[in-house]
Amino acid sequence: MRLVAHLTRNIHDANTVAEEANLNQLKRLQSGIEGLDELLMGGFVAGSSYIIQGRPGSGKTILANQIGFNHIRNGGRVLFATLLAEPHERLFQFLSTMSFFDKDRVGEQIQFVSAFDTMENDGLDEVVKLLRREIVRQKSTVLILDGLLNARSKAESSINTKRFISELQGHAAFAGCTVFFLTSSQLDDGSPEHTMVDGVLEMGEELVGNRSVRRIKARKTRGSGAIPGAHECEITENGLVVYPRLESTITHSALRDSAEFSVIPSGIDTLDPLIGGGLVESSVTLLLGPSGTGKTTFGLNFLARSTPDEPGLLFGFYESPQRLRVKAAALGLDFEALERAGALHIAWKSPTAELIDKLALDLLRIVEQQGIKRVFLDSLGGMARASADQSRILDLFSALMSELRARGVTVVSSWEIRGLIGGKIDAPAPDMSSIVDNLVLIRFGQSTAGLTRQLSILKIRDNPYDPALLDVLIGEQGLTVKKAAFHALDDSGNATA
Amino acid sequence: MTTILIVDDEYLIADILSFALEDEGYLTVTAGSGQKALGILERERPQLIITDYMMPGMNGIELAEAVRASEVTGQIPMVLMSGAQSHLGIARPDLFSKVFDKPFEIGAVLQAVRTLLGT
Repeated sequence: MRLVAHLTRNIHDANTVAEEANLNQLKRLQSGIEGLDELLMGGFVAGSSYIIQGRPGSGKTILANQIGFNHIRNGGRVLFATLLAEPHERLFQFLSTMSFFDKDRVGEQIQFVSAFDTMENDGLDEVVKLLRREIVRQKSTVLILDGLLNARSKAESSINTKRFISELQGHAAFAGCTVFFLTSSQLDDGSPEHTMVDGVLEMGEELVGNRSVRRIKARKTRGSGAIPGAHECEITENGLVVYPRLESTITHSALRDSAEFSVIPSGIDTLDPLIGGGLVESSVTLLLGPSGTGKTTFGLNFLARSTPDEPGLLFGFYESPQRLRVKAAALGLDFEALERAGALHIAWKSPTAELIDKLALDLLRIVEQQGIKRVFLDSLGGMARASADQSRILDLFSALMSELRARGVTVVSSWEIRGLIGGKIDAPAPDMSSIVDNLVLIRFGQSTAGLTRQLSILKIRDNPYDPALLDVLIGEQGLTVKKAAFHALDDSGNATA
Repeated sequence: MTTILIVDDEYLIADILSFALEDEGYLTVTAGSGQKALGILERERPQLIITDYMMPGMNGIELAEAVRASEVTGQIPMVLMSGAQSHLGIARPDLFSKVFDKPFEIGAVLQAVRTLLGT
């Protein structure tokens, strides 16, 4: 099942509302591209015309061919015409590395023809005639015209470009054919091409630091809504995959929250009496602390309470599954047995190789497929590193956590903070309460014998808690807490008695 | 002088073939579509036609059928060059003396042309 589609049901609900209100819904042409139809709130409008623009290498040819091959799989017929000089054979060679390409359909349901020669020798009027005849002859229901920039250079004035586009649109619309113009030029909103067509998709690739990020943006969509703004995408062997920004697709999760809450064991028996009996079901707990304080250990204890009926998931960015199993074993926790019983799943992700929306969707997909009820996310900071745009992580995490809450999942997440020793603690992000229900801080304290780990409960939503400072002990019995004998270090680095 | 007609909507392919054949001493004429090719056939009398399959207006098989249907041109040998549809050409030995897959090897095409023309 396609999760993006599933998650955007609120958008479709909005469409249902429109239907009930007798608003006219236009017939859609689905791109078949994961995420793109959701971005376009159901797909392209059939019979309309679109510009797909982007610099060479931005993926527009792949996008157009994916639309084309998906269309013929749905019984349609496609005419792919080019105004460029490059032969189609080279296109076929690189398309043959993509799973959607079906060589046997070429020349049958999908025709590739060149109008370059006609444009050069006979002019744009003849190109229109040639394409009009071809649409009729091939009974095409989709026309893709590559190289619109060449038509612009060939046209003597912008009026001629406009006429070329409008004539083609006219003929195509008459034949019930949806048109996609591809161009590598950066057309702006006021360009004659943009004013003529019904929709504009812009594709681009930009550098964020040394990382290259592909983005797609619906700049104009007549006859349909679209999720505004830029969305990250990637090109895989299956073609283009679009990840609509999670916070723009999952917007109403909170409405599905349960009204009844029970308390579940946190995995640390000595902590539960101090926080009202345990963690509130489908709450989000954030463990803050510098490296080495035992955040992951806390999370492993939390996951150890997973059962086959209420399985747990470790979604981590740092330690490999092998090392986590060893670490758990040292705490007396048999993760391998839990995994064999179907009570525990471990997913390791690279924080530098993936798109953040993809990571979030992967997490939600595992939660859905395995019926996960406990998630340990190690760490939120690692996941944030995957985001090319740091300004949106708070919105994204809010959406993700709301969705997990709505699915009845109890989440424990870690977030490493700077300052190994000392009393000054900075929140890793502003407005944390939109993300988390409970805040737990673990830091280093000092006893006469040396450093100790100390846990403070900063916030527990909807439950009374003991604000006492707690010593953390990690041993073969896992992680336990008890009221502290010494206080945490203050800013001067001195323990206060 | 032996004249060869090359029919391809992709002018680059038509050009590459045309230059290679001219280097071998043949005269070449190119046409960007089947209709244009039929017009040229009226004027020129090529000894060989090399055609693409997927073209606007008329595909390679339709062109070959039109060529065969005419008494004047019916005997001219034809070669089909095609990416995905070479099997369609192979199934019609009545139309094509030889079928090449695209991308083709220019040496093999030249060899076939020499054999077909007996030059």
